[in-house]
Amino acid sequence: MSTSVKKLVTAIGASIAVMGAGHAAAEIKIGIAGPMTGPVAQYGDMQFSGARMAIEQINADGGVMGEELVGVEYDDVCDPKQAVTVANNMVNDGVRFVVGHLCSSSTQPASDIYEDEGILMITPASTSPEITQRGYEMVFRTIGLDSMQGPVAANYLISQEPERVAVIHDKQQYGEGIATAVRDTLEEGGVEVAMFEGITAGDKDFSSLVTKLRQADVDYVYYGGYHPELGLILRQARQADLDTTFMGPEGVGNKDINTIAGEAAEGLLVTLPPSFDEKEENQELVEAFEEKGEDPSGPFVLTSYTAVQLIAEGIEAAGSKDPFEVAEALREGTFETPIGTVEYDSKGDMESFEFVVYEWHSDGSKTPVN
Amino acid sequence: MQDLLYFIQQLINGLTIGSTYALIAIGYTMVYGIIGMINFAHGEIYMIGAYTSLIAITGLAALGIAWLPLVLIVALICAMIVSSSMGWAVERVAYRPVRGKHRLIPLISAIGMSIFLQNYVHLAQGSRNIGFPALIEGGFQFGAEDSFQTSVSYIQIMIFATTLVCMTVLSLFISRSRIGRACRAVSQDLGMANLLGIDTNRIISATFVIGAALAAVAGLLLGMYYGSIDPLFGFIAGLKAFTAAVLGGIGSIPGAMLGGLILGVAESMTSGYLSGEYKDVVSFALLILILLFKPTGLLGKPEVEKI
Repeated sequence: MSTSVKKLVTAIGASIAVMGAGHAAAEIKIGIAGPMTGPVAQYGDMQFSGARMAIEQINADGGVMGEELVGVEYDDVCDPKQAVTVANNMVNDGVRFVVGHLCSSSTQPASDIYEDEGILMITPASTSPEITQRGYEMVFRTIGLDSMQGPVAANYLISQEPERVAVIHDKQQYGEGIATAVRDTLEEGGVEVAMFEGITAGDKDFSSLVTKLRQADVDYVYYGGYHPELGLILRQARQADLDTTFMGPEGVGNKDINTIAGEAAEGLLVTLPPSFDEKEENQELVEAFEEKGEDPSGPFVLTSYTAVQLIAEGIEAAGSKDPFEVAEALREGTFETPIGTVEYDSKGDMESFEFVVYEWHSDGSKTPVN
Repeated sequence: MQDLLYFIQQLINGLTIGSTYALIAIGYTMVYGIIGMINFAHGEIYMIGAYTSLIAITGLAALGIAWLPLVLIVALICAMIVSSSMGWAVERVAYRPVRGKHRLIPLISAIGMSIFLQNYVHLAQGSRNIGFPALIEGGFQFGAEDSFQTSVSYIQIMIFATTLVCMTVLSLFISRSRIGRACRAVSQDLGMANLLGIDTNRIISATFVIGAALAAVAGLLLGMYYGSIDPLFGFIAGLKAFTAAVLGGIGSIPGAMLGGLILGVAESMTSGYLSGEYKDVVSFALLILILLFKPTGLLGKPEVEKI
């Protein structure tokens, strides 16, 4: 696959002005790692656009401790092997602060390297609980955990009083983790889990699975995984006249699912972080995105923005560019960000993060479900 | 009754997917039968066929042409032309220069070609899943209204029927036509066929072209059936089709059909009665078992030592 490490040197008006004034201004490199290519590149776009905006705005405000932030972008294709290569490249390139990675299965192996090398990492998207359960000091996130998202989904299902629910997952760290949390919560809530089964990510033919779901006669199907597979399952289910309601995590909630599933995506339930772009205090930021022709509504745009902002504020608070001191400052401080007030526990997880159930529509829009 | 309908449904699912494995497997088996090499880039040819037909369908839709038979035929012809020229070019560029060298060299060349084509489509078409219009919708239903119904969609029938027609035409072509006779001669003894005045280079090119054309048919059918395509999907399908070819006896055309169907049914039965997680485990265990007891595959002829 593509081994290209794409770098982007952000050339910004403010920085040119600083350079022009003859200051040999030092710079702080921010590594941004996520998928630029591959099946989930859609999410990578959100991540890159959020982080770029934050870097641009912070530089326009005079940078961090008088130094300019420089974004260096890396493509990990959401592939664990590639993520390790990217992490090693960061070490070689002298990057000390990382925003990334996106997929939990990439974040986990990469974070081993960051921890060893003393690089501070904030993931704006990885929700697997394991990532912060290993006692690492340099790992933070600006998103909730599967163990929070799963119960939100399951509790919603329980409130609909179904008799039987099927839980499907893609056997990957993210999908299976979240599906397990859903199953456990459902069972505790007295709902029968009629089926708990894995599929193979990358498969195209789900006719057997759909037949099995029809036979199982369930009220809801929960799918833990990403949109390429769920899109196909939805489409093939509708073709086979299975009209059960499907539900999925934020990994399925993006407009690409509409190009695959078409009309079949109507009525899909998705747990997503609340729409930060609809908050009143973020409207100025939303306009800045729209001026650049970018869409701030994706679930990872403002979490990535926040990750960059936290790195910048952490450096200011610590008064030092040493990642260890910045990590300490992040754990101690309280930060006002576009995703709300951020406070970290000792593991690097946010003290609170909310997930909301949305109903997805075939035109790619969504409405909150009460 | 319920259980029977369920079984029939899984059987239909399996036969549909199995027929497309068979269509792709033809490309592997013909090339192996004639020059004894495995064309790993064949899965990519299939993927390119699917992309080409999608481009053709989108193009026709942009022109406002919506008459289904015309759309299908134009898409099919475009896909077959592009895939066949690709198949021909791959052979000309990557295999002919290394033919007759050590066995490993064409194999590595094939893998290289496969990676090249995959990444080429990545760059040219983007890496995301692209939705494929369904075009043919609806189907038949059997069984009582309020319980489990077996459904056969028109597209499933079309996939199965197209495969049968293609296989029959191909078998007739190989057994009756001049080129077919030459193909058989080349597969028996390339050197001798050359001495007898057969243009073996042309015959080998023809093999690649025929295999690629059938892969293009599979690309269009499966694109419509599944509903989305991406640059990597040829690789997995190719691997399955290759397994089908080996299972049925590589080099044998009826073998490819049989192998494809067995593999498809085994997969759907495993996901239907056991669990989708064990689908690949069972199909590859089946392959190993058959190779242990019948190393030439189900319909393969034992290799005769040439003196």
